[in-house]
Amino acid sequence: MVAKQAQTNGAKPASRQIAMVFDLNKCIGCQTCSVACKMLWTRDDDRSDGTDYQWWCSVNTMPGRGYPRDWEQMGGGYRNGKLQLGKLPKRDDFGGGWDFNYEEVFYGGKGTDAHLAPTGKPPAWGPNWDEDQGAGEWPNSYFFYLPRLCNHCTHPACVEACPTGAMYKRPDDGIVLRDEAKCEGRQACARACPYKKIFFNHARNISQQCIMCFPRLEQGVAPACARQCPGRLVFVGYLDDPKGPIHQLVHTWRVALPLHPEYGTGPNVFYVPPLAPPPLDKTGAPDESKSRIPISYLESLFGNGVSQALATLKAEMAKTRAGKKSQLMDLLTVYHWNDLFGPFTRDPSTIQLTEVGRK
Amino acid sequence: MAAKTTTRPAAKSARPRTPRSAEAYRKKWTWDSVAWATHCVDCYPGSCMYHIYLKDGKVAFEEVAGSAKKLWADVPDKNPMGCQKGAAWSRMLYGQERVAYPLRRVGERGAGTWERVSWDDALSDIADKMLDAIQESGPETIIHEMTPAEGGTMAIWPTQRLLINLLGGVATDVNAVINDFQPGHYITWGKFNPATGAGGEMRTRLRLIWHCNPVYTQIPNYHAVAEARYQGCEVVHLAPDAGPSSIHADYYYSVRPGTDAALALAMCRTIIEEKLLNERFVREQTDLPLLVRVDSGRFLRQSDVEAGGSDERFYAWDTAKKALALAPAKTLRWGKVTPALDSRTRNVRLADGSRVAVVPAFGVLRTMLNRDYTPEQASAICGVNARVIESLARKVATRPTAIYMGMNLCKYYHGDLMQRAMLLLLALSGNWGRLGAGITSWSPGSGLEGQGLFGQKQRTGLAETRRVLEVRDQLQAMADAAAAGADSKEIASIDAMVNATRLGLTGMIPPAFFWYYHCGYRDRWNNKQWNDPAMKRTFDEYVNEAVDAGWWQGVLKPAPDRPPRVLFEVGGNMLRRQRGGRSHLLEHLWPKLDLVVSIDWRMTTTGRFSDYVLPAAQHYEKPNFHTASAALLELKFSDGAAKPEGESLSEWDIFRKLAGKIEERAKARGFAEYTDSVGRVHRLEDLYERMTLGVEGVDDLVDEWVKDTAAAGMLKKGQSLKTMRERGKAEFTRVGESVYTLNQATDAEPGKPYTSLQRHTTKGQPYPTLTRRAQFYIDHPWFLEAGEQLPVHKDNPKMGGDYPFVMTSGHNRWSVHSMNITNRMLLQTHRGRPHLVMNTKDARRRKIDDGEEVRVFNDVGEFLVPVKLSGSVMPGQVICYNGWDPYQFRDWRGPMDVEPGMVKWLHFAGGYGHLRYWPIQWQPTPVDRAGRVGVAKVMSGANGSGGRGRSRAAER
Repeated sequence: MVAKQAQTNGAKPASRQIAMVFDLNKCIGCQTCSVACKMLWTRDDDRSDGTDYQWWCSVNTMPGRGYPRDWEQMGGGYRNGKLQLGKLPKRDDFGGGWDFNYEEVFYGGKGTDAHLAPTGKPPAWGPNWDEDQGAGEWPNSYFFYLPRLCNHCTHPACVEACPTGAMYKRPDDGIVLRDEAKCEGRQACARACPYKKIFFNHARNISQQCIMCFPRLEQGVAPACARQCPGRLVFVGYLDDPKGPIHQLVHTWRVALPLHPEYGTGPNVFYVPPLAPPPLDKTGAPDESKSRIPISYLESLFGNGVSQALATLKAEMAKTRAGKKSQLMDLLTVYHWNDLFGPFTRDPSTIQLTEVGRK
Repeated sequence: MAAKTTTRPAAKSARPRTPRSAEAYRKKWTWDSVAWATHCVDCYPGSCMYHIYLKDGKVAFEEVAGSAKKLWADVPDKNPMGCQKGAAWSRMLYGQERVAYPLRRVGERGAGTWERVSWDDALSDIADKMLDAIQESGPETIIHEMTPAEGGTMAIWPTQRLLINLLGGVATDVNAVINDFQPGHYITWGKFNPATGAGGEMRTRLRLIWHCNPVYTQIPNYHAVAEARYQGCEVVHLAPDAGPSSIHADYYYSVRPGTDAALALAMCRTIIEEKLLNERFVREQTDLPLLVRVDSGRFLRQSDVEAGGSDERFYAWDTAKKALALAPAKTLRWGKVTPALDSRTRNVRLADGSRVAVVPAFGVLRTMLNRDYTPEQASAICGVNARVIESLARKVATRPTAIYMGMNLCKYYHGDLMQRAMLLLLALSGNWGRLGAGITSWSPGSGLEGQGLFGQKQRTGLAETRRVLEVRDQLQAMADAAAAGADSKEIASIDAMVNATRLGLTGMIPPAFFWYYHCGYRDRWNNKQWNDPAMKRTFDEYVNEAVDAGWWQGVLKPAPDRPPRVLFEVGGNMLRRQRGGRSHLLEHLWPKLDLVVSIDWRMTTTGRFSDYVLPAAQHYEKPNFHTASAALLELKFSDGAAKPEGESLSEWDIFRKLAGKIEERAKARGFAEYTDSVGRVHRLEDLYERMTLGVEGVDDLVDEWVKDTAAAGMLKKGQSLKTMRERGKAEFTRVGESVYTLNQATDAEPGKPYTSLQRHTTKGQPYPTLTRRAQFYIDHPWFLEAGEQLPVHKDNPKMGGDYPFVMTSGHNRWSVHSMNITNRMLLQTHRGRPHLVMNTKDARRRKIDDGEEVRVFNDVGEFLVPVKLSGSVMPGQVICYNGWDPYQFRDWRGPMDVEPGMVKWLHFAGGYGHLRYWPIQWQPTPVDRAGRVGVAKVMSGANGSGGRGRSRAAER
C-alpha cells in the first residue's frame, strides 16, 4: 500500500533525499546505535544542556509500549491531507535520565545498607523499559527489535506545524532540521510528529531531534548509528540512486517498508520486516502454515506490503538453501561493510577536524 | 597518533541555510587528535578496534575503527566490530564509579568509609604485611585471585611477574575462577580449547545455537550468523526459553533445562539406526572401535593380553584377519586393519590363559542408545518432539554442522555429560576438523612472545634477546629430541607442562582445593541433596582418595594447614563472581586475611570490602594489548592516549613500585632471602632490579615486548611501539608453538581460514587422551562407578534444595561481566537495576506484577529483586542475568546468595591418561546454572525487609 500523499503547505520537496534502511532480520537490539548517537549529540556530561534524557535513536522490543511510552497511540501526521496535532508526550513518558547514588554506596559509610539505584522517585519508564518482553506465550511467544530515529519525512508534519518557522528541510539532502535560535519551545512539532521522536529540552526551552548526523554526512562520513552498528544492518544513501541498495530494497524488491505509512508523512527510514521461526503445535512440531508473529500486527506497523515483502524474502532464502544465487540475498548479506553507506564511506579518523578549524 | 590525518577545511559542501545552531552541531563533532584503542577480549575473538577522539586532553568520544581487512572472498568482512559497551567506554573513564586515588579503609571492612593515602604510605603498609606473611607462613599464603584479561596483558603480566614468579605466591587458575573450562571437550579430546574456526562461516549449512545466547553475548560477531543464513545456512535455536537468540532462527525448539544430553543422544541413535553414520570418521578419529571387556567394563589392555604389555595400549577387532589388532598410538590411521564397528561380543584369550568376552565400545554405546534413548524416551525427558529429534539428526548427519555453544553449558553440574553427548553427535556425523563444522571453544591468545622473553632476560636490549633466543632454541632442540619418542609434539608439550606442575613449579593452582580447605566450601560440597544421587560415597571420601593417590601433587596450595593471608584482586571482583560467593567468602575467607588489596579503575563490591583500593589506569590511559583467541592472528594495540585520571597508575607502575617498596622494607628488617615450599630461593635485596631490568616507563616496557616479539619471529621485522601506535595492529607471522597453540592442531596461517583439530582429521595426529583418540568411553573407576563411562543424561541435582523454580541465568547484554554494569549511560538502556525474568503466568499465579520486588530463596540464602515479566521464558524457569555487582541489590544480596557453588565430584578424578591437571585444563570448576529457588511475593510493602522470616515451606 502506498500511503496517500499528503498535500501540505509545509516543507518544499527536497531535490534529493537521504534515506536509511534497517534490516530487522539482523537487528539484535544491542543499542549500539542508540549509544553511538548519544555519545555525539545528547551526552550532556554535566547535566546542564537539557539533553541528558534524550535518546534520539533508540531500539525497542516490539510489540511493546515503546519510547516514549505508548507513542503509537498519540497521533499526529496527516489525515486526508490535513495536519493532525496529536498528543504531546510528557517527560515521564520518556523516562530515563536517572542519576545514581554512587557516592552514598561507595563512600557513604553505610556498609551494605545502601545499594546502587536511581535516586529520587523510583523509575517507571525509560528508553528501553520493556526490553525483551514482547507478546504471546511460551513456546510461541514473539518479539523483534525496532530501531527508531527521526524519519526525515518527505512531508514533515513537524515543519508544517512549526509556528515560528524554525524548522526546515534541507533542499539538497532532505534532512529535517531546526534553527534552534528561532525555536520558541512551543512543541507543535512534537505534537504533529506521529513517531514522537521529537524531544523537549527543558533547560533551553526548545525542541530537538535526530539531525541525521549532518556534520558527518557533510564530511562524507556515515551517521554514527549506521557506522557503529555491529549487526551491519543500516543502509544509508540517496533514495533516488537506482544502483544503491536503498533504491533496490525499497523500490525494486519492495522488501523495505516505511513504518506507519498511514500517517502520510512519507518517512525516509525503511525497514526490512522480521521473519520468525514457525510456531510449535501442541505436539511440539513446527507448524509452517502459521506465522509466529501475527501478520495483522506487522501490517499495522508496516502496511499491507508486509506479506509480499516476507514472501519475497522467503522465496529468495529458499534459493540460497537450494544452492542457487540470489541477488536480494547478496544485497542483504553485505559482503563489504562500506557497501552499506552509499557515498558516505569516509573513515572519520582520517579527518582533522579541530574546533579551531570550525571557528 | 592515528595513521594518517589529512587536513580538510571544515566547511565544504554547499549549505544554503546555516543557522547558528547548525554550526554548533558541527563544532560539537570536532577533536584535536585520534588514537587507537581496544577494550577487552571477553566475547572472543574480541579485541574490537576503536579510535578514540581526544579534545583538550580528554577522551571526547570513541568510535569503531572499522579497520578489519576482508580476508576471504566468500565471507563478509568483520567490520565494524564493536558494541554499545565499547561505544560508551569513555564514560567510565570519567564516571562516578572511577577510582582515581589510593584509598585505605577506615573502620570495619566493608563499612564504606575511607581515607585518601599517598602511594608511598599504601605500598609501605602493603609491603610490610606481605613480608609478615612470607616470614611467618610462607609466600604461598599470598594469593592472586587470577581473573580474565579485562585489564589486558598490562594487568596480568606485572601481577604475575612480581607476586608469582619473583615472590613465589599462588595464582588461582583463571579458567576455574571464571568457570570457562569445558569439561566435556577435555574428557573427549584431552584439551578443552580447540578454538572456534574462522573463515568457514559460509560453509556451515546447519547452525545449532545450543546453550548460547549470541544475541546478547556475541554482539560484534552475530552478523556472521545472519549473513550465513541469507546464504543458505539453516539456523536452529535450542533453549528452554524462546529468548532473544530464537528470534532470528529458522526453527526454535524448547529443551527443558539440563536435558540436552538426552536430546543429543537420541539424535545419535537416529544417525546410527538410520545408517547415516560416518563410519570412516568414527573408526579413525574415535575410541569407539576399541574393545571393552564385558566382565569389568574396562578397555581390553595390552597388559591384559601380553605379559609385560602396556596398560595404555588398546585393541580393536580386525574384521579382515578376524583377530585382535593393537591400536596404533602415534597415529590415528589403522593401516590395513579394518576395525569392527559393531555390537558383536567376541571371546579373546588373556595373558593368563583365561578367556574374556569383549565388545567394541561402539557396541556398548549402541546397546545403551537403543535401550535408553529412543526419540520417544528422549522426548519425554527433554520435551522436544520425537519426530523433530529424528529430522534434526538427519540434517546434522548430512550437512556441515556447527554447534554455537557459549560458556553456559560448562556451568551446569552435568555440563560435561551434555558436552560429551554433543561431541558424540558431531563425531558420528564427521563434523569437526573441517571448515564450517565444529563446536565453539576458546583458547588463550599467544604470540606476544616478548612478554615471556622479558622474564628470561637479565638486562634489556636486543643483544640480550638474541642470547635468550639462542638458549631457548637449544632447549627446544633438546626438547624436540626428547619428544622424538612421544606420540606427538603436542603430547610431549603437555607432558612437560604436567611434569612442571607436579613439581610445584607452575604458579597457577586449581582453586578447588583453596575453596575446599580455606573458603568454607567443604560443607556445601558434602551436601548430599545438592549433588548427583549416583554418588556412592561422600564428597570428602572422593577428595581424600584423590589427594591420597597423589593425583593433584604439586598444586595443593596453600597447604590445608596454611591459611591464606594476603589476597590481591587486579581487575577482578571475587565477591561478585565466585559462585555462591559473597556472603560465604566474607564469612569464611575474609577473617583469615591480613590484607585484601583491590587494584582496579572502578569501585567493585570486592573493592568495597578491601583494605586498600589502588587506582589503576583505565584502558585509554596505558599502552596495552589484548590477546584473545588463537584464531585471531593479529596483535591489537590500545594506546595510552589520555593522561591517567587523578593519581591512577598503570599496573606496571604499581607493581614496579611495590617491588621497590618490598625491597626497601625487607632491607629495613634485615630479610634478604627465603626458600619456598618446593625449594626455590627468592632473593629480596635486588628485587626492583630483577622486576624491571632497569625499565621504568611503561612505554619502554611495551616497546621492548614488541621488538622482542619481532626478534623471536612472531612479528615481521621492524615492529615497535611506534609502529603499533601508527597502525594499531600487527599480523603474527604464524600460529606459534605454545602448548595451547599446539592444542589447536591446526595448519592455519595468517590470511588462511582457521580450523582447529584439522591435524587430527587430515593427518591422523593422535589426540592427547589416554587412548590417543577422541575418547567417548572413559573407564576410570570413578566414571564406571558413576555410570558415566559413556555420555548419558542425568537430571540436574536439586542444588539449593527442593524448590519449584529453575534459575538458568546467563550473561547479560549490557555489560562485559560487571565491568560496564555501572556505566551510567548503559544503565539507561535497561531498567537501571537488576531484575529477575519470570514467566507471566507463573507471576500471575502468585499475584506478582511487572516491576514488583520479590524474594528469591532456597536453603542457601535469599535475595530481593524486581521481576520483569516475559511470555518467552519457560514456565518454572527464572533468569537473573549475570554481571550485576552485588552492591546493586538490596542488602548486597544477589544470585550468589542462593548458589551453593557446587563442583562435580567426578572432576577430582585423576591418575588416568589425560585426566590430570595442567594450567587452565582438567580440574573441578564451580557451577551455577539451573539451581533451584522459590519465588515469593514480598508481603509488606516496599521496605524490602518484609516477608523475610516467614515460613519458607508455606511459600513453595
